[in-house]
Amino acid sequence: MSKRELTVLTDLSLITCIVQRGIADDIVAAAQEAGSQGATIFYARGTGVRERLGIVGLAVEVEKEVINIMVSDSQKDRVFEKIYLAGKLDTPGMGLIYVTPLEKAATYIPEEIIEKLASK
Amino acid sequence: MTNKIRYGDYFREASIARKIISYNDLVPALQYDSEGNALPYRAAKIQLRAFDAYRIIKPYTQVRIVEQMKAVLPLALYLVFFQILILRQSVEESSTIAAGLVAVILGLMLFMEGLKVGLMPLGEALGSSLPVKSTLPVVLFITCLLGIGVTYAEPAIGALKTAGQIVDVTQAPYLYALLNDWAEVLVLIVGLGVGLAAVLGTSRFIYGWGLKKMIYFTLIPALGLSLYISTQEDLKTILGLAWDCGAVTTGPVTVPLVLALGIGISSSAGKKSSSLSGFGIVTLASLFPIIAVQLLALYVAATNDPESIIQAALMSTQAVNTGLLQQTPWLEIVGGLRAIVPLVIFLLLVLTVFLKERLQRPGIIFYGISLCVIGMIVFSLGLNFGLSKLGSQSGGLVPAAFMLHDQVMASPLYGTLLGLLIAFLFAWILGFGATLAEPALNALGYTVQNLTNGAFRKSTLMYAVSLGVACGISVGVAKIIFNIPIIFLIIPGYLVAVVLTILSSEEFVNIAWDSAGVTTGPVTVPLVLAMGLGFGRSMDAVEGFGILAMASIGPIIAVMSTGLWINWRIKRRHQAEDSADDIKAEHRPEEVLA
Repeated sequence: MSKRELTVLTDLSLITCIVQRGIADDIVAAAQEAGSQGATIFYARGTGVRERLGIVGLAVEVEKEVINIMVSDSQKDRVFEKIYLAGKLDTPGMGLIYVTPLEKAATYIPEEIIEKLASK
Repeated sequence: MTNKIRYGDYFREASIARKIISYNDLVPALQYDSEGNALPYRAAKIQLRAFDAYRIIKPYTQVRIVEQMKAVLPLALYLVFFQILILRQSVEESSTIAAGLVAVILGLMLFMEGLKVGLMPLGEALGSSLPVKSTLPVVLFITCLLGIGVTYAEPAIGALKTAGQIVDVTQAPYLYALLNDWAEVLVLIVGLGVGLAAVLGTSRFIYGWGLKKMIYFTLIPALGLSLYISTQEDLKTILGLAWDCGAVTTGPVTVPLVLALGIGISSSAGKKSSSLSGFGIVTLASLFPIIAVQLLALYVAATNDPESIIQAALMSTQAVNTGLLQQTPWLEIVGGLRAIVPLVIFLLLVLTVFLKERLQRPGIIFYGISLCVIGMIVFSLGLNFGLSKLGSQSGGLVPAAFMLHDQVMASPLYGTLLGLLIAFLFAWILGFGATLAEPALNALGYTVQNLTNGAFRKSTLMYAVSLGVACGISVGVAKIIFNIPIIFLIIPGYLVAVVLTILSSEEFVNIAWDSAGVTTGPVTVPLVLAMGLGFGRSMDAVEGFGILAMASIGPIIAVMSTGLWINWRIKRRHQAEDSADDIKAEHRPEEVLA
């Protein structure tokens, strides 16, 4: 068996978006159209704006979905903007989005792509 | 001339207008008191523009309306198109029915939302604190009372009362008496059955009793009573009603509320909640009312004779009721209040007085309960003017396909054989579509798929249950057409189910027996009930009950057979793999070891 190698990816960011439960699929679809590769979704509960909205706050779900998307630094602005628009985050109670710089990451990368990029 | 621009900078300029604000400027500055301690910050209410309120509320209501529309519209459209295209009859009172259907959708939406916001938190609070703070007998007693309360709150129960007005008193005096003079007692006794089922189902969690034995012990009296009743000439008409009651009771209120309490009890009793712990209550809750209703019928028969019931009924039809509370909107309003308010008062009393628990967010709970009541009222209005009317109209016209029908010119529309085939196909598709659309079935499918590690796929279960319901409804229609005594269908049906139960593993028994109760929701039940009654009336059958009973036994048999088949297939595959492994091991021992 050949020796195992680890290729480290750099220049990437983590986009985290928190929306009401049930919205995540739309967000992920928008992010993927903007070129992001995959997404991790987990369930959470969030408070804040909902309690301050009064009776209208009942229409805001307490249960949230948190979407983590790893993007390259060159796509992050585009994905950020697409998600913001797809999630209608300019409406109170709809959720929030933030970007965290990542130091490095590693995952499966097809052999031929590693060869092509390493020879460059 | 070459100018380098970073793409990100370009993009920032070219895309939507961005401003940059420091979050430091946004958060409030803390206030300090005279001693220099920070005062706690209280956020002010947010003032919304009307447009923003609209943008928040729109998706919220849209999702919920669409959900109910999916449950109601396909079925309603199916009935309408069947009536127009196959039976070539226009829909009478179409505008009333359309308004009624809208009311059903709105009512269900409000009711379900109210259930989620108002009633469920109460039930969950009760489920988590009651077992901790009091002794087991008290807990079981309160569980029983809760069972009665939720039965009253079940939206489909109203359909039974509506059905009573159509029964002909001279042909089936006891059935008429049960559904009219004794209607309140009937619901109470059904509730008592549900309550007892909840108690036994909960004890089952605690003591780890198997469901199989409980099914045998429940079926023996249920079938025995039916056998006895079927020998009584006057009484046997109530059998269809009794077996239908089981399907009516297990709806969107009973199942989650009783389950919340049951699971709370079993987890605080120190039993690890296994993946199966939620099951079984639904099964018992659909079998116990059957026994209860049969016993009530025997009691009514022992204390009243048919002549006096007929006399009383004729008297009461002559004395026309003009009281305000008997007229249409008021009747439903009183009914809606009576369905929800006692349950809420009971839950609140137990929580605040008995358990001395403080109510979390009373404003929201009150809002939810009001939604429940309003939803119930609107739903029962829609039920009376939309679903029941449409169901009984279509059901009443179907026989025109194969026999002479006074409302339909040129009937029979088709030859006897083709007409009968159309009638069965109509019932079959109705059952299949209605069940497949039921949201509760989807949830059950997921549970089953997880439980069996994917061996029993979600879609397999959904199709098995739908197939069972579809065939069950067809058999029920056949029962009305050929006037088959229901006992001839129930006894063999349940015998087959018992044999399959003996053969199946405990898990599949749990799933299969629960699937029947879970799948008969607030739209299907009234529609099928009304269809059957309309069908029965135009066939001049004595009663049109029994279709739901058949629709309950169908999925039980279908799911258990599928379960057995899947088990057999897995076993065969394992055997094949084992023998293949043996051959490999014989030929290349080193490799296997390495």
